[in-house]
Amino acid sequence: MEAQLTNTIQVTNAPTLELSDIQATVLRPRPSPYKGQYLIIRIDDATQGREMLRRLIPHVAPADDWWAPTLPGWLAVAFTFQGLKALGVPQASLDSFPQEFREGMAARASILNDVGNNAPANWEYPFGTTDAHVAIAVYAKDEQSLDTVLERARQSQQDLPGISIIYRLKFSELPEGRNPFGFKDGLHNPQVEGSGADVHPGYGAAIKAGEFVMGYPDELGEAASGPEPEVLRINGTFLAFRKFHMGVAAFRKYLRDQASSPEEEELIAAKMVGRWRSGAPLALAPERDDATIGADLDRNNDFSYEDDMRGLKCPFSAHIRRVNPRDALKNEIVAVNLHQCLRRGTNYGPPLPEGVLEDDGEERGGVFILIGAHLKQQFEFVQSQWVTDGDFINQGAEQDPMIGNKRVDGTFTIPKLPVRRRLHGLPQFVDVRGGEYCFMPGLRALKWLAGLNGESS
Amino acid sequence: MATATEATKETRVTGTNPSPAGMRDQGLTSGQSHEFAIILPLKPGGGQRMRDRLRDSLNADTQLMDRMGTLHDLRFVLFDNDTRVLFASTYDGGFEQYIKDFSTLVPDLIDKEFEDCEGYPGVRSPKIWEYIARYQQEAIVFYSAYPNVTVRQVWKGQRVLSAFEQLLDEASS
Repeated sequence: MEAQLTNTIQVTNAPTLELSDIQATVLRPRPSPYKGQYLIIRIDDATQGREMLRRLIPHVAPADDWWAPTLPGWLAVAFTFQGLKALGVPQASLDSFPQEFREGMAARASILNDVGNNAPANWEYPFGTTDAHVAIAVYAKDEQSLDTVLERARQSQQDLPGISIIYRLKFSELPEGRNPFGFKDGLHNPQVEGSGADVHPGYGAAIKAGEFVMGYPDELGEAASGPEPEVLRINGTFLAFRKFHMGVAAFRKYLRDQASSPEEEELIAAKMVGRWRSGAPLALAPERDDATIGADLDRNNDFSYEDDMRGLKCPFSAHIRRVNPRDALKNEIVAVNLHQCLRRGTNYGPPLPEGVLEDDGEERGGVFILIGAHLKQQFEFVQSQWVTDGDFINQGAEQDPMIGNKRVDGTFTIPKLPVRRRLHGLPQFVDVRGGEYCFMPGLRALKWLAGLNGESS
Repeated sequence: MATATEATKETRVTGTNPSPAGMRDQGLTSGQSHEFAIILPLKPGGGQRMRDRLRDSLNADTQLMDRMGTLHDLRFVLFDNDTRVLFASTYDGGFEQYIKDFSTLVPDLIDKEFEDCEGYPGVRSPKIWEYIARYQQEAIVFYSAYPNVTVRQVWKGQRVLSAFEQLLDEASS
């Protein structure tokens, strides 16, 4: 019996996604290059909160206005459970949200392995507190457009003393689109059926839209039944917001200590990530970086693990193989399409100059927005199983070498003939600085929340 | 709006809310091993049908259960004159997280095991968690000889041991 997910799906005509009602951030990649800010807002007065929303709504970007945007930038808005409460959403509606969202990311710390350094007690304010209500992301192509959009965001809370911006984080693209560790990333995202987004080879078969947007059938042929009422649910989704600090100096120093040449440093780094710095995957460039592949959107993601089931090219524990196993688990009973998130990542802070091995004390890292209709079986599953537990790849308690929370002896296993190599003493390269679960409603739902159609309380 | 509503109507709205009571809300833990026991009423004649069916399909089912890679053991015990069945097993920490995968990819395997139980709604039914919560019984004591070793680690240990024994055989012959 060959376990194929498609066997259990009733294939019907794909529904047409209502792109004009879904927020752009859900279905569209951010611009490149980009500049932007994340804002977190506290609402002390529900009436003023709804007024702020009314002013904000005309500037929220829908997914159909992305290709030739009429707005100078992209404004996205999402709410924590505390935020929905602060807005005065009726109790029956609040109760109809999934449990993990109602509890919030901080309360799920033990499931997410946010312990030790990463524990919510160590997070930046206002993450994990009852003060974080509304999250706004503003993306623009340049500083000038950003100022225009930020000005609109500012106006939305003018003369509203019950509304406070309590957190602000600037982000921008680093040179060559690299992450702070020096790797080109963000090269893979699942393909959402009917989204109309650009597709490059390697994105895999389209995944049912209901996995990422509520109101449409998901991979099991089901549609979400909560939250209520339907107007709030349709075209909405959930996201996990994670702010990471990246210990770039610690990463470089560890590589230097483990390797006897610069080439070996690069190889170990690529083994940990699963890609070389250029973005070329180990699956296609097992020996050395190939910048031509890395730069080619039609090649840099076009691979599988079918001919690498022993992990000799890309280790089982490599970051990209863990968080997105593609066909690597095809002999197990794992429905990988149930465990996918859309990833929208941005970087903050200055790059650490080349060659520097000592930490300069600067705050730098990334913010990841992981989007999906089922936080529990998507973000929480990937974080608790594939990032934190090595058993699924037969690596015991070994964690993700890049984003794992290595509290004891961190190891990283590199399959190799005749004998594998195992690195010990991996420091924790990434610290969680904070996070929140948010609900990102569709545009009609935003109006409902703002009380514009008279249905709200 | 029209399209989204139609899409909703076309599909079974069964809810994607998490289980009201996960397996782990009951059941004892030792290290990363968990015990699970459930006592279920059987339909009339169900005991004999279950006996025949599970015996006949054991070989095929074993392969699928191996591929789950997180089940240490399981047993079905018929009692009270074939009117009730005890299902008991030991599983690794990861097992529960993959239940949706199992119910998606091998629903027939699971449904075949429980279809003769009174009121069994089917593993893909949203009522399944309610059903489990109603009948699950927590053990009063749970012992594991290797509480922190997973099924996959046991298998790996066996492979390594037999390779090592072979090496010794070859070295000494």
